[in-house]
Amino acid sequence: MSFLNKLGIGVGAGASSSREVPRSMGSSGRTRSNGSAPVAAVGTSRSPELGESNRVSNGLKEFLWNLEGLGRGALLDLGPAWQTTLSFFIERGFRVSSEDLLRAWKEFLVDEEGKLREAAGRAAQHTLDVTPSARAARFLEANLQYPNSSFDAILLWDLLDYVEPMVAKQMVANLTELLRPGGVVFAMFHSKKPEGFQRYRVADSTTLQVITSPVLCPAQRVYQNREIQDLFGRYRTMKSFVGRDQLRESLFIK
Amino acid sequence: MWKKEDVKTQVVRENATGFSTGSPTSPSGPTRETSTGLPVSSKASASISQGIRIKGEITGSEDLFVDGHLEGKVNLSDGSFTVGPNGEVKADIFAREVIVRGRVDGKIVGREKIQLWSTGNVAGDLQTERLVIEDGAVLRGRVEIETGRPIDKRDEARGAAAGSSKGGVISVSSGSAAD
Repeated sequence: MSFLNKLGIGVGAGASSSREVPRSMGSSGRTRSNGSAPVAAVGTSRSPELGESNRVSNGLKEFLWNLEGLGRGALLDLGPAWQTTLSFFIERGFRVSSEDLLRAWKEFLVDEEGKLREAAGRAAQHTLDVTPSARAARFLEANLQYPNSSFDAILLWDLLDYVEPMVAKQMVANLTELLRPGGVVFAMFHSKKPEGFQRYRVADSTTLQVITSPVLCPAQRVYQNREIQDLFGRYRTMKSFVGRDQLRESLFIK
Repeated sequence: MWKKEDVKTQVVRENATGFSTGSPTSPSGPTRETSTGLPVSSKASASISQGIRIKGEITGSEDLFVDGHLEGKVNLSDGSFTVGPNGEVKADIFAREVIVRGRVDGKIVGREKIQLWSTGNVAGDLQTERLVIEDGAVLRGRVEIETGRPIDKRDEARGAAAGSSKGGVISVSSGSAAD
């Protein structure tokens, strides 16, 4: 780790090679049986439209460093259930919970739209409360339902960029309750509005795979450093790494 | 309560309305095609096809393929339980192997293995020896690997994190490095 990294100023994250995903691994032409599939092939396949690149991640390295010696810690992964990410942490003794919160947010938005259409056809007293705080409360009533202090680590990824600011605020508050004292959150923030939509998975201890995916939700806002610090104001420490791709990786320790 | 024998009895009677029985072996190989063109394990001796709804408890020791709606409890001690792409199961599932291509709302215990295909969507905890997750599968729940380890193990730069500098105290800091 460089001197700058020791000071909390990371350099060089995002320097990486990229490659196109083999298109031959799509779903077409799959011939395996249900019961006795050659499972070694499963979990490595890709949808044909996906692209993938590797990204050196000082944030991940630091995240893992903070979790060393934890033993059977509990981790909450708020990204998609990738085989590689789950395997990575399970092999290191973690009990992993997975909840794709951005997908849940997308489903929530679709559901809300339906409710609004329904409400429009009813009497005024049945209208839906669409204030940001009410929407945030409704979303979080159905998601992130775990006992307090359940987790030692949380992979938040770049989720906060894509949800409404009020949801982000209440979500961070909820996550803080779910985290044990000394627990770590790994989050990412775009320093400029992202052009595409990406999801992330752990390739190894220092590398993230960046998966280009169809847009699930449009980015809501770009958080400035001060706003990020305010969001995570209850955390003891914060450390950030900004890469050449303008993606900021942040660690927050409760 | 549903027993395997009961299912078989009804399968014969209800064959024309959606249940189907399958020969345990197929002349063309280890897999066969259902009427919907879906590959089914050669061992699958019973299936509940799309459009069928069942409420109750299913117990047995053979394989079962569900492409319809099932609510209750599934206990196939030695069998494989497959949820087809159209299948919706609200049940705790206990089986030797569980393959999910549709939706499951409930805890899944696959004694030997659980496979989530890309179309699979599970809301519930998973408990198994081996877990296979295809890209695109949706999981909302806790994963418990009882023994062994999940497959698809990758070569990783083990110890890279351990080799990183540990001397620095985590500081309240942030910054950018426009390298």
